[in-house]
Amino acid sequence: MSPRRTASGGLIDRSRSIRFSFDGDFYTGHPGDTLASALLAQGVTLFGRSFKYHRPRGVLTAGVDEPNALVTVLRGDAREPNIPATMLEIYDGLTVVSQNRFPSLAFDVGAVNQLGGKILGAGFYYKTFMGPVFGPLKGTRFWMFCEHFIRRAAGLGRAGKVADPSRYERMNAFCDVLVVGSGPAGLMAAKQAASSGARVVLADLEPRLGGSANWSGESIDGTAAAEWAAATVAELKARPNVRLLPRTTVWGYYDDNTLSALERVTDHKRTARKGEPRQRHWTIRAGRVVLATGAFERPMVFPGNDRPGVMLAASAARYATEFGVLPGGKIAVFANNDGAYRSALALREAGTSIVAIVDVRAEVSTAARELATKAKAEILAGQAVVATEGGKTLSGIKVQTFDAATGVVRGDARSIDVDFLAVSGGWSPIIHLASQAGARAVWDEKAQAFMLPPATERWTGAGACAGEFSTGEALAGGAAAGSWAAGGASATDPVPEAGGAVLDIAPAPVFEIPAGGKAFVDFQHDVTADDVRLAHREGFISVEHLKRYTTLGMATDQGKTSNIPGLAIMANALGKQIPEVGTTRFRPPFAPVSVGSLAAERYGDIRPERLTPMHDWHVDNGATMYSAGLWHRPMIYARPGETVDQAYVREARTTREKAGIVDVSTLGKIAVQGPDAGDFLDRVYTNMFSTLPVGKARYGLMLREDGFAMDDGTTWRLAEDDFLMTTTTANAGKVMQHLEYLLDVVWPELRVHLTSVTDQWAGAAIGGPRAREILAACVTGTAVDNETLPFMGIVHGEIAGAPVVICRLSFSGEMAFEVYSGAGHGTHVWQALMKAGKPFGLVPYGLEALGTMRIEKGHVTGAEIDGRTTARDLHLDWILSKKKPFVGSMMMDREGMTSSDRLQLVGIIALDNRPLNGGAHIVERLDRETPRDSIGHITAACYSPVLRKHIALALVRGGKSRHGDRAYVSDPLRDRFGAVEIVSHHFYDPEGKRLHG
Amino acid sequence: MIITCPYCGPRDLSEFAYQGDGNRKRPDQASTSQKAWNAYVYDRLNPAGEHNEIWQHAGGCRRHLAVTRNTLTHAISKVGFAGAGATRKPAPRRKPRQKS
Amino acid sequence: MVDQLSPLEPVLHSGRHGHVANGVGVTLSETRPGSIVQLAAWPGKEKALIKSVKQLAGIALPDGAGGGIATEAASAFGIAPGRFLVIGEEEGLAAAFAAAVARDTGTVTDLSHGRTAIRIAGPKADWVLSKIFAIDFALPAFPLGSGVSTVHHDIFAQIQRTGAERFDTYVFRSFARSFWHALCRASEEVGYEVR
Repeated sequence: MSPRRTASGGLIDRSRSIRFSFDGDFYTGHPGDTLASALLAQGVTLFGRSFKYHRPRGVLTAGVDEPNALVTVLRGDAREPNIPATMLEIYDGLTVVSQNRFPSLAFDVGAVNQLGGKILGAGFYYKTFMGPVFGPLKGTRFWMFCEHFIRRAAGLGRAGKVADPSRYERMNAFCDVLVVGSGPAGLMAAKQAASSGARVVLADLEPRLGGSANWSGESIDGTAAAEWAAATVAELKARPNVRLLPRTTVWGYYDDNTLSALERVTDHKRTARKGEPRQRHWTIRAGRVVLATGAFERPMVFPGNDRPGVMLAASAARYATEFGVLPGGKIAVFANNDGAYRSALALREAGTSIVAIVDVRAEVSTAARELATKAKAEILAGQAVVATEGGKTLSGIKVQTFDAATGVVRGDARSIDVDFLAVSGGWSPIIHLASQAGARAVWDEKAQAFMLPPATERWTGAGACAGEFSTGEALAGGAAAGSWAAGGASATDPVPEAGGAVLDIAPAPVFEIPAGGKAFVDFQHDVTADDVRLAHREGFISVEHLKRYTTLGMATDQGKTSNIPGLAIMANALGKQIPEVGTTRFRPPFAPVSVGSLAAERYGDIRPERLTPMHDWHVDNGATMYSAGLWHRPMIYARPGETVDQAYVREARTTREKAGIVDVSTLGKIAVQGPDAGDFLDRVYTNMFSTLPVGKARYGLMLREDGFAMDDGTTWRLAEDDFLMTTTTANAGKVMQHLEYLLDVVWPELRVHLTSVTDQWAGAAIGGPRAREILAACVTGTAVDNETLPFMGIVHGEIAGAPVVICRLSFSGEMAFEVYSGAGHGTHVWQALMKAGKPFGLVPYGLEALGTMRIEKGHVTGAEIDGRTTARDLHLDWILSKKKPFVGSMMMDREGMTSSDRLQLVGIIALDNRPLNGGAHIVERLDRETPRDSIGHITAACYSPVLRKHIALALVRGGKSRHGDRAYVSDPLRDRFGAVEIVSHHFYDPEGKRLHG
Repeated sequence: MIITCPYCGPRDLSEFAYQGDGNRKRPDQASTSQKAWNAYVYDRLNPAGEHNEIWQHAGGCRRHLAVTRNTLTHAISKVGFAGAGATRKPAPRRKPRQKS
Repeated sequence: MVDQLSPLEPVLHSGRHGHVANGVGVTLSETRPGSIVQLAAWPGKEKALIKSVKQLAGIALPDGAGGGIATEAASAFGIAPGRFLVIGEEEGLAAAFAAAVARDTGTVTDLSHGRTAIRIAGPKADWVLSKIFAIDFALPAFPLGSGVSTVHHDIFAQIQRTGAERFDTYVFRSFARSFWHALCRASEEVGYEVR
């Protein structure tokens, strides 16, 4: 029997037991328990050690606001730290360890830090470790020495080191009404909106929908509130237009009513079903949003307020009522408001005894007194708790007379023997989401809280979140909000009546009992009231600075229990009112979000990859694949025992001597169609295309509007109104967007359509002295001789029964042909070409050999068209038409773009016969120690099989006039220095005899 | 942010590509005014408030849109097809999702 | 005629996969239509183009943004202003349109090899697609026959609703295998059958 479990009652399933472990010891609980409730039921009060002082800590709350009871969950090799025990549902086999203790939770050597409390105050690290070294124990270097020890001793849980094996998913949802929070207000809002036919999503971060109805002990509509909630949830669940999302934290509110939510799908299960994600990241686009997020109870700040056994009053009542757990036997309540009296009664009714209700107010309302009488509790009005006693659990409290008006304690302290203290410092509406949506909170003097501003067109509040603190108000507010959110349909159902005492929960404006000793404001970051005052004395008067200097509210709980008390103490120190000091703006996420859920499907082996039609052939035939952007392309087809260098040299040499074939399907291909297509191409290319005959191709260069080179490629005229433009692989998207912009925005009158047909075509470039013979052997339906298919000519034919378009053009410098077929026929055609080429020694070649041959020819690619080079820099002056304007034509001749000392394309030959590297600098004077005076850089380098030299292309200042000059390569990073000769970029066959055959 | 494409309806920001200041006027193709070209290529308005912008629905119909957007609030007051000739209006797309 | 090789060939594993204990949530298949053709009208010429769809594909394509129609033999839907995707069982539809569509009406672009057609059908089809696309797949928002153009990361997709619980998606061929993997992964949770 669990020592603190009630005999009956609560919403747990007592018929089943769940076994789990905490710090190696095994415990049992029931379905419906959280780790906190299950351990409390077993009499466990010590849950962890605090961040800085290693003080023993218990459970302060029953929900997402928990600052103390953070634990680490172990699943196989994976560990997830900093999970609030209050949010962790138990399951069979759950394995949990406590945090920030060494060697054990009960005996922790770090607790010695408590003795140094005065030293470890606000700004300790800044003061000790920042800045210049003055003495042996100061400054940044001292930090570097101490960091290892401090990091080990301080902090929260330890992160795991193995890759997270969990699956995460994302989900998009659209709805008319999103209701956040499923308490009485949220349920009413959802019900009202749903009954008018709206599509409704109802999300709640707890596993059990119903919110306060599950533990208030009140009645709604003549039945127990929890039963009313269960019935309402069942009714909503049955409606096709409602989606219920329990265990779902709405954590971000973004523009245009787009909200982010995290659903914990299998965190409460021992194992996930096949394909079931651990967590689901929801993006919800809502017409309107009802915020029914409730309110957080605030702790009081008094010495020893962090001792295990001190808990928020409503949380204590919730454990008793919803979980059947008595958090203590002999209980005292410490309050500044009437709401705590209801909690006291709930605790009493569950079977505890309430020794005393310590109330800072001298006057207590009649309604509260009646509750106290029912709870058989003595009211100690005008008094305050000034200390707690005990070690790792509470054994008593000290009480003194307190003047709420002046905030001064006086008289003698009196000890009261209790094992549990329930504290209530008033309520703060949970306005985080509205704040994220841009709302400025409004301070309410009576409620002593920041409240929601008036609703907007997009959202409204309901329930405690909107200041409707009684259940009756919340039900009515929820119904009205639901009706509004669904478009203002009139109410269909009458609002149910709520039973139970209606209390004025307005608290006395008392946040702190100044009585000496450590009084915690931020429990999770160990920030005390004195720290806040110290920060003030040191000149931090802005709340934003205060927050950063003391780290108040900056832990994983983001100050859910500490923001308002901290602000109040700061205001007091400044002699200002709370609203004058202001509040910090809430930002997403409302509660911690796993990075895995944000990455979701963009993880591991499922990044999108683009495969060419011949991909499988390449892989099956020994290609080493290389990812170029999203594309996967063959780098080399290595034979057994070959190195990369050996493979590409062989491939390039064989192509120059016999024939080679390369997959060029990745080239960007754009169908440019319409009566004005020729005119359009004249405007976007630097050279003429309207004059290109049908059945011919032409090399073209595009400039950007600012006159710099943008992209190059060939464009084929397939019919009068039908051009096939090719772009470089890397620039395909950019060029498409550029052209679409011009047609949509600049020249909408042109009748031209653009369509991406990159994927429609498979492309194989076959080149070398035997290439034509190979084609002749397999192409049917057309001749491929020089007359039928001259340089830049296009023919249509078939290869092995598949239609092909063949264009004679060359990137390698050899006589070469690009064979295009339908992508679905790509492998078929490629195989036919390979078969036909076998007698001629045809080899497939990859990107390395392709790069080598283009460097030998001095052809430019993206490495040279880098956004900083002009057509002239790249020796492409010949292609700049003077007969017509084109994009960039007016800007390309500006001063500075035509000067002779620009970086210009040259060739480089290594005189020491060692490899060159892209990115290396070219210098005139070699200085290994202090490399200087770069005159340019290498853009691409290779070993040239035809020259038998290490060569490179480079952009060198005034390069056109440096041919024949001696220079040096200076590459300190790779320790590569040596003499080079600057030459023309045309290393090989400058007259182009080979490609004309 | 959500942009309501005149063709595709309301879509997520992630489907759109910002294509710059919509107030720019490209000089006539034959213009030789260096000043006008410089202004077109380099001058951008950057108001704090209502701004005319060009967005491409790159992950949808791929049309360029003229969007009037408040750069302080992200509120979009007007969306149409960009380009003078793009006056055609498609028939309205289905029933609007949001009730009001 | 040479058959088209599907980019999905090596990864299309027939049978049931994922969590199928409670039945099959979706059925995934490659429909492999003979023709996928883009028709694009000049402004004001949409009606003439729609008429040629009626003549050549035998289906009455409604005008209006994203409007479409799906029959067993052919389907068509709007993908952009003045642009339509026409899908036919038979090969050669592009050539037929090219011959029939006048220069002043618009243009015809054959995409039969360039797009891969994947069908997602079943009670969980909208759930699975919602994991991938930020599109409202509910029937009132996405009526029968209509289509959308959208994107998932770099994977551009055109999607047509061809049944109450059935969607046909057209993705760039080079992305088809990645998309297929994403689709299978998204379907595991609800159980899927590949046909």
